[in-house]
Amino acid sequence: MADTMGHSATANRNTSVAIGFCLLAIAPQIFELVWSIGTIFGWGAGRGPATVLISHATALLASAPAALIGAIGGDTKKASSDVLLALIYSYPIFVVAILTLFMTIKSAQDYIGGIVLMALALFALWASSDLQGMRGFSFGAGTAPRMFGGLLVALGAGIALTGLLTDGPAMAHYAWRGPLFVMVSIVFFALAIRPLGVVVTAFASFLIAAMGTHETRWVEAIIVGACLTLGCALLFPYVLGLPMPMFPRFLAQ
Amino acid sequence: MFDLFHNLGLGFGVVFQVSWWSPWWLYGLSLPISINILMCLIGALVGTLVGVLPGIGTVATVAMLLPITFGLPPVGALIMLAGIYYGAQYGGSTTSILVNIPGEATSVVTAIDGHQMAKQGRAGPALAIAAIGSFFAGCVATVLIAVLGAPLTKLALAFGPAEYFSLMVLGLIFAVVLAKGSVLKAIAMIVFGLLLSMVGSDIETGASRMAFNIPELADGLGFATVAMGVFGFAEIIRNLDAGAEMNRDLVQQKISGLMPTRKDLVDSTPAILRGTVLGSILGILPGGGAVIASFASYTLEKKIAKNPSRFGRGAIEGVAAPESANNAAAQTSFIPLLTLGIPPNAVMALMVGAMTIHGIVPGPQVMQKQPDLVWGMIASMWIGNLMLIIINLPLVGIWVRLLRVPYRLMFPSIVIFCAIGIYSVNNAPVDVILAGVFGLVGYWLIKHDFEPAPLLLGMVLGPLMEENLRRALLISRGDWSVFLTRPLSAVLLAIAAFLLVLTVLPALRAKRDEVFTESEN
Repeated sequence: MADTMGHSATANRNTSVAIGFCLLAIAPQIFELVWSIGTIFGWGAGRGPATVLISHATALLASAPAALIGAIGGDTKKASSDVLLALIYSYPIFVVAILTLFMTIKSAQDYIGGIVLMALALFALWASSDLQGMRGFSFGAGTAPRMFGGLLVALGAGIALTGLLTDGPAMAHYAWRGPLFVMVSIVFFALAIRPLGVVVTAFASFLIAAMGTHETRWVEAIIVGACLTLGCALLFPYVLGLPMPMFPRFLAQ
Repeated sequence: MFDLFHNLGLGFGVVFQVSWWSPWWLYGLSLPISINILMCLIGALVGTLVGVLPGIGTVATVAMLLPITFGLPPVGALIMLAGIYYGAQYGGSTTSILVNIPGEATSVVTAIDGHQMAKQGRAGPALAIAAIGSFFAGCVATVLIAVLGAPLTKLALAFGPAEYFSLMVLGLIFAVVLAKGSVLKAIAMIVFGLLLSMVGSDIETGASRMAFNIPELADGLGFATVAMGVFGFAEIIRNLDAGAEMNRDLVQQKISGLMPTRKDLVDSTPAILRGTVLGSILGILPGGGAVIASFASYTLEKKIAKNPSRFGRGAIEGVAAPESANNAAAQTSFIPLLTLGIPPNAVMALMVGAMTIHGIVPGPQVMQKQPDLVWGMIASMWIGNLMLIIINLPLVGIWVRLLRVPYRLMFPSIVIFCAIGIYSVNNAPVDVILAGVFGLVGYWLIKHDFEPAPLLLGMVLGPLMEENLRRALLISRGDWSVFLTRPLSAVLLAIAAFLLVLTVLPALRAKRDEVFTESEN
């Protein structure tokens, strides 16, 4: 009884890991899709969401298998960037995700770490696939990235393999509160520093970052934040002479 | 020998250079001040501060202060940044001894015996011995840099691209051998760093590599940005995991009687000597640096002690040796940077950044073209060490008070300082977001037990390595055997291969793990 329960527990974990890898396999596509929504509002240039969706879907479902079969048949036609992404990046990780279902993972920390590194390396291989390779005996722009990308794929696979073969720690626990608020504070700072100036931005970012822990006492944090803002406003632009906007643009004008 | 004195004389001349300062509020009166001494003092004090405060490391601090050095003369800027690095080694021991939390990664082992001594009411002698050991090691390391500098520079001039490439391979292998944990993971981190360094424009063809048409990436990922993310933001996020209120059992009783007894001095003298020698050697090796030096010297002391059971219960050698070793290593790691132009660790890599900001290309030619810069920096190290030992012991009380500042107030301040610091390097908001992203990457790396230090080393050496590899192959017309037929290069590669084999061998691996697990039990 206990044995079967244990077994089903690991199987459950493996499916969730495999689903995670599947998401990882189409992460760049999803990222581009989310990014492309911005073009509707006229931010940035790029393909619209509909084009992105159709292009990646056909690449993943039709063109890439076709290209794969074509390559085996000896037909070397120039594939588009989306098809290459599916071929170089997504398919290998789908394969890994499927294989994961049939494995016993001894150390999730190493296994997942290795696979994610492998994914990064595959992504780098795709990103440098449009660069020129060797020209005679001299290196092209793409030679070194491909060399190291290939090496990292092998190393990632090696680490994943140790995670399968040797016992080690399971996945570490991730907190959400600290990373979330610190990141929000950083992004807010980056977006606000130009339009709003040091004074407003530094103070607001301080308070956002302070939300990263539940131990924050607000009165104390507001006093310290105000002092820090005053210090920064004097130190950076005046003492160190680094040019920076001080106050919000609409007030300064 | 005469040259040495001449050079050191030049260096001290640079440091003591007096300029007249006439601010408007003195109505024409002028005050004599020495900018370089002032910079040295500021660097040493800031270094001690970050050393004392846990949760902010030297790498993040130096990265944060890089933009500040824009307005300074190059000598003063480098003197200040160097001061931060060795000042942090002094400061780290204070926290380790009094609070049992390492203020700095380099003083992790100091906490074991140092805090025990403090609990027995002997915090004063522990702090004093740590400072004396650091000072002695600092003096020896300064002389070593001065002695080794010139001959190594001559050797470096005989280096061609093939030799440079092999030397960097050796450096990266050292980084693997000396890194904590799995060898495979350390190599993977280096290769990841090499890949990151390829983002941006290709040096020869100018083709944009892996930049996805994002204009901000065309110049490549800034090293300071990545360092701040991986060592600054990631560290903060990680600390928040454990809860902001770290358990600080600060030694409450007043520290009385700084002077160590005669027995303390007799016990610690050989330990200081051994720590200095070991630290100096490990500091020069690429990939080494202060952290490994302190671990290794603690292990050595425990091995050769007549009564090893004293360790962990307040043995003064356990404070003296690692503290001397980390300070010696922090300073000798300048040797490869100043003579060969190759940074052996992350802090030195940031120094390369600082030199580039001021239009200095690090390498063997610096010592000949700008002797005042190099020797001024070397002389400043000795003066900085002297200042640290004089200032620090009386200031212990102030540092202790700073330790009472709760982390819940400190971490948002560090976030803001880091953000403003990165923003002001290029006035680019995108850099701040990139640093944040690398903060998350660093957090993930920590969670999966990957060491971030080899990643940064790979990232720094990446462009240099690729350039020399391509040049070497171009000269040899595509013949890879050039790395083995040139004698110097062959020797370097042979050492690298030998080291790698040794690390993988089980016997040595067990030894290497032993060094690192020392702090955990």
